[in-house]
Amino acid sequence: MKALEIEGLTKRFGGLTAARDISFSVEGGEILGLIGPNGSGKSTVMKSILGVERPTSGSVRIKGVEVAGWPPHKIARLGVGMVFQHSRPLHRQTVLENIALALTPDSLWRLLPDPATMAKARAIAERVGLSGVLDRKPATLPFADLRRIELAKAIARDPAVVLVDEPFAGLTARETGAFSELIAEMRHDGRAVLIVDHNVKSMASLADRVFAMYVGERIAEGPPQAVMNDETVRRVYLGGALTTASRPESAFKDAATPFLEVEGVDVFYDRAQALEKVSLHVHQGEFVAVVGLNGAGKTTLFNAISGLIPYRGVIRREGRSLAGVSPASIAAGGIVQAPEGRDLFTDMTVAENLDMGALRLKAGERTERLDWLFDLFPRLKERLRQTAGTLSGGEQQMLTIARALMTKPDLIILDEPTLGLAPIVMEQISKALERLRQTTDITVLLGEQNVTFALPHADRVYVLEHARIVWEGPPGRFAEEAGGRYI
Amino acid sequence: MLGWQILIDGFAISSLYALGATGFTLIFGVTGVLNLSHGGLMVAAAVGAWAAGSYWGFGALASAAVGVGACLILALATYGLIVRRLQLTTKIREEEKEIFILTATLLWGIMIQEAIAYLFTNNAKTVLPIVEGVVELAGVRTPKNELFTALICWIAIAGLWLAVNRSRVGKILLAASMNPRGVTLLGVELSRVYLAVWVIYGALAGVAGVLLGMFLGVSSYSAGPLTASAFSIVVLGGLGSVSGSLIAAYVVGYLETLTAYLISPAYREIPALLLLVIVMYVRPRGLLGRR
Amino acid sequence: MARAFGPLLIALVVAFCLAFLPLWVSGYILGLLTTAYYFGVFSMAWDLLFGFANEVNFGPTFLIGLGAYTAGILDSLYQPPIAVCVAAGALAAVLGGVVLALPALRVRGPYFGLTTLVAVLILQNFIVVFADLTGGEIGLTVPDVISVSDKVNYWIALGFMSFSGLVLYGLSRSPVGLILQASGQDAVQAGALGFNVVKHKLASFIVSAFFSGLAGALMVFYLGVASVGTFVDIAVGVQVIVGAVLGGRRTILGGALGAIFLIGAGELLRPLGDLSNFIVSAVALVVVLVFPGGLMGLLGGSREAA
Repeated sequence: MKALEIEGLTKRFGGLTAARDISFSVEGGEILGLIGPNGSGKSTVMKSILGVERPTSGSVRIKGVEVAGWPPHKIARLGVGMVFQHSRPLHRQTVLENIALALTPDSLWRLLPDPATMAKARAIAERVGLSGVLDRKPATLPFADLRRIELAKAIARDPAVVLVDEPFAGLTARETGAFSELIAEMRHDGRAVLIVDHNVKSMASLADRVFAMYVGERIAEGPPQAVMNDETVRRVYLGGALTTASRPESAFKDAATPFLEVEGVDVFYDRAQALEKVSLHVHQGEFVAVVGLNGAGKTTLFNAISGLIPYRGVIRREGRSLAGVSPASIAAGGIVQAPEGRDLFTDMTVAENLDMGALRLKAGERTERLDWLFDLFPRLKERLRQTAGTLSGGEQQMLTIARALMTKPDLIILDEPTLGLAPIVMEQISKALERLRQTTDITVLLGEQNVTFALPHADRVYVLEHARIVWEGPPGRFAEEAGGRYI
Repeated sequence: MLGWQILIDGFAISSLYALGATGFTLIFGVTGVLNLSHGGLMVAAAVGAWAAGSYWGFGALASAAVGVGACLILALATYGLIVRRLQLTTKIREEEKEIFILTATLLWGIMIQEAIAYLFTNNAKTVLPIVEGVVELAGVRTPKNELFTALICWIAIAGLWLAVNRSRVGKILLAASMNPRGVTLLGVELSRVYLAVWVIYGALAGVAGVLLGMFLGVSSYSAGPLTASAFSIVVLGGLGSVSGSLIAAYVVGYLETLTAYLISPAYREIPALLLLVIVMYVRPRGLLGRR
Repeated sequence: MARAFGPLLIALVVAFCLAFLPLWVSGYILGLLTTAYYFGVFSMAWDLLFGFANEVNFGPTFLIGLGAYTAGILDSLYQPPIAVCVAAGALAAVLGGVVLALPALRVRGPYFGLTTLVAVLILQNFIVVFADLTGGEIGLTVPDVISVSDKVNYWIALGFMSFSGLVLYGLSRSPVGLILQASGQDAVQAGALGFNVVKHKLASFIVSAFFSGLAGALMVFYLGVASVGTFVDIAVGVQVIVGAVLGGRRTILGGALGAIFLIGAGELLRPLGDLSNFIVSAVALVVVLVFPGGLMGLLGGSREAA
């Protein structure tokens, strides 16, 4: 009997199928990695196991017991522990009390702390390396220790199955090693471990098997090395053969002071480091791509440039620091984002959304600009009177880019323009970007996890991985030099 | 005859409710703030107009202007001294700011109410009406003031509608209510947008308060019930939906008027409250709410 | 553990000292404090819901009023022993708490807040409509009181507040209290730890309602009168909430401190007439704006209170 068995799991949200006919199993003493790019459906599978989502069809069995449709607390008590990515400990309680909480039976009559529970909590704390900080409050601990608390809570009830969501996000290289050992220890204890993450690389040495998903479906399964070399997986993560059209850096005139300079930028969310000493630059008229998986820090980087979040380090525009400049002033000054979340005005029509981008344009300029945009995105002209919320995902993305272009930006930041789009739509947007590059001298900073989409347009590429820039170079050298880090 | 009476009275009351609730829902829709000092602001407007007329001998129109001005100043104080401070502070966790803003505006409303009671006593006050006299309407003797109230309410609501849908500032407000981040990313300072909303809100609440003072009269005790009625109408209509609030205002206004005339004035509020409870259970997002 | 019981110990010592107050002060002040102590229980019961279950109840007077009026009506109709009336009041409040919990488990945030507000308005309307039974706007005079002695009433209120504080504080610090706090903070994560969030939240509503109703019923037999103005009016609820927030959220004991502070400050400023309410609200507003941790946060000097 397998500890965890998923069979024919399908989950639909309205018309969207988030997971289709997924089947896998994990035995006690085995680590299975569940990977996929953003939107691949891995979170849906995880939530279905936890009971947070009710599967549309299919079965989820824990130790042979069918649990599909059960409430979360019953599934947890049957033997499922979860290491959440974002820890939310009780802030007024100590580390020890937080762990003891996870050992407390779900009874309304447990009024006194049980000494045996405390002793057990102490033992668990020691196992995960928290014995030195037992009496501290969570707010005073470093981020890695908060993750250790989550881990301790997840294994407190001695579960047969443990789910781990993005275990290494926000951790330093050394902490990552320590965490891998803790996870390996769970396997040693005979638990079935399911690690959910974006790519194989982070867990290659840890997982026994890897199950890869893409747009809700299984695309590969097997040992980590085999999955990394799998044709389909490589195509999803790296794309096929590429033709690139990069221009050398010397072709740009502002070599001494590039248009945008990011220097040694650090960003922290609570205590998790989201960007670490990130430096990059963009020349006037250049097309720069920052590629990295979801969670690598691309959006954080762009938000720092746009002044939306506090950071340490320097960001300069044409040599002048942007520190203390308000987000609106940065945008009004010509550094404009087409954000990942699109941030459209959903109850306004396409025309009204575009008008919001034209606030600072003269009437004549506006019409001229509109004509140019309709030429770039003919679909938007057809949809002019439709409200933005009723557009398809691809049309919304076009509108997001068009609205940003409407402001006549000096630099446009495109954050994940292909997220959740069908290949044919990506193709249309790709063509529009190519025309933009060919016919204007616009400066572009593109963030993408889809390498196939990003590389053909780029003059230069940065690879962002776990909050750090790990590679920089022309797109032509990407596959051989940086491709392996990516899957 | 009674039918006409109910129709006319209900219309005037409902229009007043609608105007009062419109400002409240506008503030919530654009800035996400439920302002529990709303009733206090409306009473301040009415008492301001009353004081201008009876203490300083201002004419009816000038008094009304004083009342609206007083309300505007207090609304800006609400934003500047309380709401803005709480929104910007780092001492309170983001998810707890809502309850702090609710508590703080509640206390602020009580302060306004008590200050009015101290300065001008608790007695009910009727503001000098701008138009006087009675007119025969479908056989019902109706005070002209009542018709004037309904008329001004609708002019104010229509004015707001035009401003929001036809002007540049209005478009920005609308956009900010749908996606504040999107507005920032296009280079518009949100703090200015919010300031504009509070100015509009102050004016709307001021007009509603002064009209209420002319039509029914107010006392400092009215502050709490006025907030509660705006809150119920807005939730019934769907938080943040202006058209929902308008419909809800008429539903509540007519339900109250019908009950008062046909059953007993003592039962006036009960059917509307029960309706509210039913809507909360059956359709928690309100009549036209999207969320 | 010592840390958790420190505040409780101080509170009990303070309560012990307060027990000797009748030897020195006038009956008038005792009467004032008696009311303050009942309000302290209202605020502490409210903090259990707000601070731990994370449910913002704008209508604490729905539960308080149910307890007070059930006890009062029962007494005026049949005159059973006072204990029976008080128990019936607490029971009615518990039933009211369950009714209130149903929407709380369904709708969130401002919508739930409004439901609780509407519950108060409905109760208020029914009291006025069924004036034969409830005394309507004039109020209901109950034939019995617990005692006519200021001192006895004072001691009963003090003892009751101490008992309620002990139970509620102990509960909030107990394993069950921690489960409740975890459920209020993040229902998904609490569920993943094996806790039935619905069960714990419902229990917290019942406990909060029980103490609110009990306090309401006892207060009726102290005052001898149940009226909308003292038990049901939204302004009374506001005072309960302000007392709890002023005292410091998630501290339970802060509720008692805040309520006593409010009533005490109101009395000290009474010579100022209507201005006193203004000043009390202003002080409360300043505390909310400047010291979000409340009085307990100030006393403890702790930064984590917010």
